[in-house]
Amino acid sequence: MGDQIVLNHVTKRFTTKTLGDIVAVDDFNLSVHEGECFSFLGPSGCGKSTTLRMIAGFEDLTEGEIELCGRLVSSSKKNLYVPPEERGLGMVFQAFAVWPHMNVFENVAFPLRIQKVNKTDIVKRVNEALHHTSLTGLEKVFPGDLSGGQQQRIALARAIVTNPKVMLLDEPLSNLDPKLRETMRFEIKALQRKFNFTIIFVTHDQSEAMAISDRMMVCDMGRIMQIDTPENLYNKPCNRFVHNFLGESTFINVVIKDGKVYPKGHTEQALDLRIPDDAADEMVVATRPNEIALTGPSVGGYKTHVEKRIFLTDRTEYLVPVGDQLLKVQTPHRVAFAQGEACSVHLVDPMWYPADDEAADKERARRQLF
Amino acid sequence: MSGYGGVSADLAAVEGRKHMNMDKVMTVICFILLLIIVVIPIFMIIYNAFFYEGKLEIKLFTEQLTEPNNLAAMWNTLKIAVFTTIFGTIMGVFYAWLLGRSDIPAKGLMRALFNIPYMFPPFLGAMAWDMMFNGRSGYINKLLRELFHLKAMPININSVWGIVFVEVSYYFPFVFMQVVSALERMDPTLEESARIAGARQRQVIWKITLPLVKPAISAGALLILTTSLAHFGVPAILGYAKRIYTLPTRIYEVIYNSGGSFDGIRQGAAISVMLVVVVSLALILQNRILASGSYDIIKGKSMRPTLIKLRGAKIPLLLLAILTLVMIVIVPLVMIVLISFLKAYGLPLKLENFTFAQYQKVFAANGTMASIRNSLFLSISAGIICMFLGTLIAYVVQKIKPRGSGVLEVLSMLPYAIPGTVLSIGVILAWSGRIAGINLYNTIWIILVAYLARYLSFSMKTSSAALLQVHSSLEEAARVCGASHTESLADVTLPLIRPAMVSGFFLIFLPAMREVTTSILLYGPYTRTLGVQIYSLRDAGMIPQAAALATVAIGIIIILNTIVTKITKDKKGV
Amino acid sequence: MANVKFNDITFRYGSNTVLEHFSLDVENGKIVCLVGPSGCGKTTLVRALLGLIKPETGSISVGDRVLFDAARRINVPAEKRNIGIVFQDYAVWPHLTVLENVCYPLKKQRVPKDVIKPRAMRALEQVHMTEYANHLPNQLSGGQQQRVAIARALVVDSDVLVMDEPITNLDAKLREEMLLEIRMIQKRLNATILYITHDQQSALQLCDKMAIMQQDGTLCQYGSDEEIILKPANRFTFEFIGVSNFIPLVKDGDGLKLDCGEKIPYPGEVPPEAAGGGYELGVRPNDIVFDSDSPLKARVDSRVFLGSEYNYFLSIGQKQIRVQQSMLDARTKGVAKEGETVGVCLLNARFYPAQKGAETT
Repeated sequence: MGDQIVLNHVTKRFTTKTLGDIVAVDDFNLSVHEGECFSFLGPSGCGKSTTLRMIAGFEDLTEGEIELCGRLVSSSKKNLYVPPEERGLGMVFQAFAVWPHMNVFENVAFPLRIQKVNKTDIVKRVNEALHHTSLTGLEKVFPGDLSGGQQQRIALARAIVTNPKVMLLDEPLSNLDPKLRETMRFEIKALQRKFNFTIIFVTHDQSEAMAISDRMMVCDMGRIMQIDTPENLYNKPCNRFVHNFLGESTFINVVIKDGKVYPKGHTEQALDLRIPDDAADEMVVATRPNEIALTGPSVGGYKTHVEKRIFLTDRTEYLVPVGDQLLKVQTPHRVAFAQGEACSVHLVDPMWYPADDEAADKERARRQLF
Repeated sequence: MSGYGGVSADLAAVEGRKHMNMDKVMTVICFILLLIIVVIPIFMIIYNAFFYEGKLEIKLFTEQLTEPNNLAAMWNTLKIAVFTTIFGTIMGVFYAWLLGRSDIPAKGLMRALFNIPYMFPPFLGAMAWDMMFNGRSGYINKLLRELFHLKAMPININSVWGIVFVEVSYYFPFVFMQVVSALERMDPTLEESARIAGARQRQVIWKITLPLVKPAISAGALLILTTSLAHFGVPAILGYAKRIYTLPTRIYEVIYNSGGSFDGIRQGAAISVMLVVVVSLALILQNRILASGSYDIIKGKSMRPTLIKLRGAKIPLLLLAILTLVMIVIVPLVMIVLISFLKAYGLPLKLENFTFAQYQKVFAANGTMASIRNSLFLSISAGIICMFLGTLIAYVVQKIKPRGSGVLEVLSMLPYAIPGTVLSIGVILAWSGRIAGINLYNTIWIILVAYLARYLSFSMKTSSAALLQVHSSLEEAARVCGASHTESLADVTLPLIRPAMVSGFFLIFLPAMREVTTSILLYGPYTRTLGVQIYSLRDAGMIPQAAALATVAIGIIIILNTIVTKITKDKKGV
Repeated sequence: MANVKFNDITFRYGSNTVLEHFSLDVENGKIVCLVGPSGCGKTTLVRALLGLIKPETGSISVGDRVLFDAARRINVPAEKRNIGIVFQDYAVWPHLTVLENVCYPLKKQRVPKDVIKPRAMRALEQVHMTEYANHLPNQLSGGQQQRVAIARALVVDSDVLVMDEPITNLDAKLREEMLLEIRMIQKRLNATILYITHDQQSALQLCDKMAIMQQDGTLCQYGSDEEIILKPANRFTFEFIGVSNFIPLVKDGDGLKLDCGEKIPYPGEVPPEAAGGGYELGVRPNDIVFDSDSPLKARVDSRVFLGSEYNYFLSIGQKQIRVQQSMLDARTKGVAKEGETVGVCLLNARFYPAQKGAETT
């Protein structure tokens, strides 16, 4: 497996009237392997879309180089920019971008007509693409008469018809309803297995990214935070931001005293945790509401009570005091504690992070405006 | 079962009696007013074209249809309209693309300037161009002839092509504005995905961008076509002297020559039917095309489109745009102002020939001040009456929805499809003593009635759109808070559509101020309007005086426009 | 505040029956959430209560005041019913300031002028909007407009407050906040609130009691959140409130079997009424746990990692079921691989009479 997309020190700076200089993409280095499904994940303004547009050739680079399939396509130093139409990519956009003045067949045939493929081949290849996207029989229909899901299938068919090596997907599922999103996800994976292309998938939805990707990149404020497989990212996030972004999180501020861990400000009862070697005196313990075991008070663990119980549709949520902080715990409905009932919480292998800093939050808020 | 039904019917009666009546009264008023303003004049045209003293008589109509002068006018009308549409569309699309998609500088300013021809009365522009390029005495013509020692005048604006040129310069903004806004709202990924599919920039323009804005282009083009078909001012100024007639000017000619006799008016009515048929065909075409091809091209997140770099072509294209603006906006304006200072028309444009005398004459003459007063009176009253009447009809159509509300809507829009000249004939036939002895001829009221019919659809459209925005829950919330049906109307609905009503008023007031097409056939000795006065001064050969009054008129229009923009900007919409 | 009694309400649009003999008693000082799929007649019921439509039969009373009675021909007009309403689209009048919006109902009730403003300000205080009194609605966020709508509904001391999907148009974060806010306002005023929604989640978070309506306009279950979640009265409630799997139970020989294309013995306990077969077993995806000792075996068709859980599709015989494994279980008990055969336990299973022709997914 070779590296199919390589970004070397890619940087993009904008100057805006209201916010001054913004480094939209700050020194991105990454390589995506052949046949991989690689996601760019992050909140809005994190630089994921800009990066994708630079790979597609719609944006110039302030610094750095991009290589596609071993060929240099963008380089700020050499002032080299291969235009989008010569990069041999497939791309699917959030708003579908199917052409309303052409019927389904013409939409899918367009890339082949531009390449001056002969007529019989066009018919053959378009029919094949339509077959793989379950659009057979809709050739003569105009996109305006089709549902969102079908329009996105046209966009997919149009992208695969030229058999590209690299497929860029820019939030392709965000405009679809949740149920359809799941089916389309499976279909995209099936197409990838069939046609064997490399996918770059841009999204702000973590569960979607985790379900589809082989590896993913989490970025924030124009910087790469972490690149890894979904399971590693979820289980071992490198910082609080990634922890919080990848799933519901609950944090406890703790102090370490005499080799024991106490909730900050309360030294009556210690939390039963193994302290990592490099821990400072004040730390944040991070875990997830459904990774905390809730048992009767006799089993051990940190003894407390149920402060509040909220029924959710598929699980029960308990707010449980730990010191003066409230810990959020989620269990299946069958684990039933009443409001006020005594209980114990057990943290299973949580993550440890340094006590938080506000500077990052401020910068994030500033960039959201942009 | 029957018991339940009975109870519910009784309850409806208990609760609803009072409002049902108010709704009914409003509906009936709408029908009566539309009958008077719209139905009767239109009926009178058709009746008089085909009936004489109560009997069917096709002879008059066939006579007029085969009369060579009328056929020539018909031919000219079509030729002018078609070529104006073609050239206006090309020009509109070109500049829309330049401003909407390329990286040409000073876009905001240019966009504002391209809209100026829109508020400027075309017949004043025609006057200015006539002063410059009249085939016998145009100033620039003379200048060119001397410069290049030519035998004949180089350009003759008093021709079909001259008329086309002037109409193009005033009507291309119809296409320009439609297309530029379509380009701005268009989802840029539609074009980007074509690039990804392998198309070059030029291919994207021809295969994606232009086809996608085609609905906007055809909407604008058909607006040019219908407007040009019915247009009176430009062909009257430029063609009349050279005996180049269009159907609207031919109608005027027939009636004018007959001295306003009934026979002349009947002939006019017959020619009107021809014009109405042509315009109706264009309107049917318009409806067909607009209904068939409107795409949804404004989905997706708002992103600025990637602008196309013009590189070397940037400066030449910028110059071309500036030159166009100068030609169609500044040059005619300057010409009119210059002429207005001349001692006499035909004198060279030298400082010693300049004077303020024309302005003194204009303001001293009774007719002039009266014409300004008349125009103000007419446009303000037409604006106010239409504002209320249009809102009433809109409310009945949108909220009460009685049986026949569709008919109501069609009736109020109908005059929009009828050329101004034709409408005047209908009004003359209806209100000069033939119905119930009401004779408004030669009074200002007959012009007012014609204006009402002509402009009703403007206010009805804006009020309708605003009423659609007032969600029924807003009225219901007032009911639940303790307001009766009438109170909720007065406290919630009316205040909410007030801004739309006000803008409806100005939509009528401004064009009515410069109106000439309708009033030229309706004015009497004491009821000249501003437009008519300028037209007659020029017709009587007092060109510098006409120019002076035109300068005053342009001043008034600019001042009013500025005030209107100020007022409507401050208004909070629904 | 007072209780609200709907008794035997029937309403039709033409031949389409929306509500038929519908009765519901909303208790005084409680938040009652009326939940049901869209089109089940929730909004029709509210409009009947407000007096914007007239039912064919039945009666509606608030406290001891009869607002509507078809038999006795009583129909109090909308403006005299004294019910506060918060609409889905807020229906805050955009041409009036926040204060003017809240003053309007008082004016219409001919409240003396000198007390109008203080009362309106008090209502705004309750929703923490006093500092916006002179703003126009379009200067406010969706959540703030919603609060103005609530203040306007509160200001006249209505007998009951009706909220018709008041938070559907807000984003997720704001929704949570508004729910807390509504709860706090209710506590402060001890108000009776009838809250209409199609969103089970927010209903569960907010309500004292929940009324679940079925598509055909009948009442399915009326009870506390605990009753609804832990003791769903029928299949519709069970299915409506969360994700579920259903497997038909048939009597085969001497025992009960799961009908999964092939018949597989069911190892668990069955309530006596289901012992004769003709029932369906309902189980939540997160109540299915892996247990190698279980006699019930299933094949793993697919596994997707979704972050907070693993989502599996398993086959028991020919029948595909959905399983959610929380990360806690995944870490302590390990995950199952695709293609593997595993033992499963169906915990917390419920039994409902089989529906004719109903295919379950």
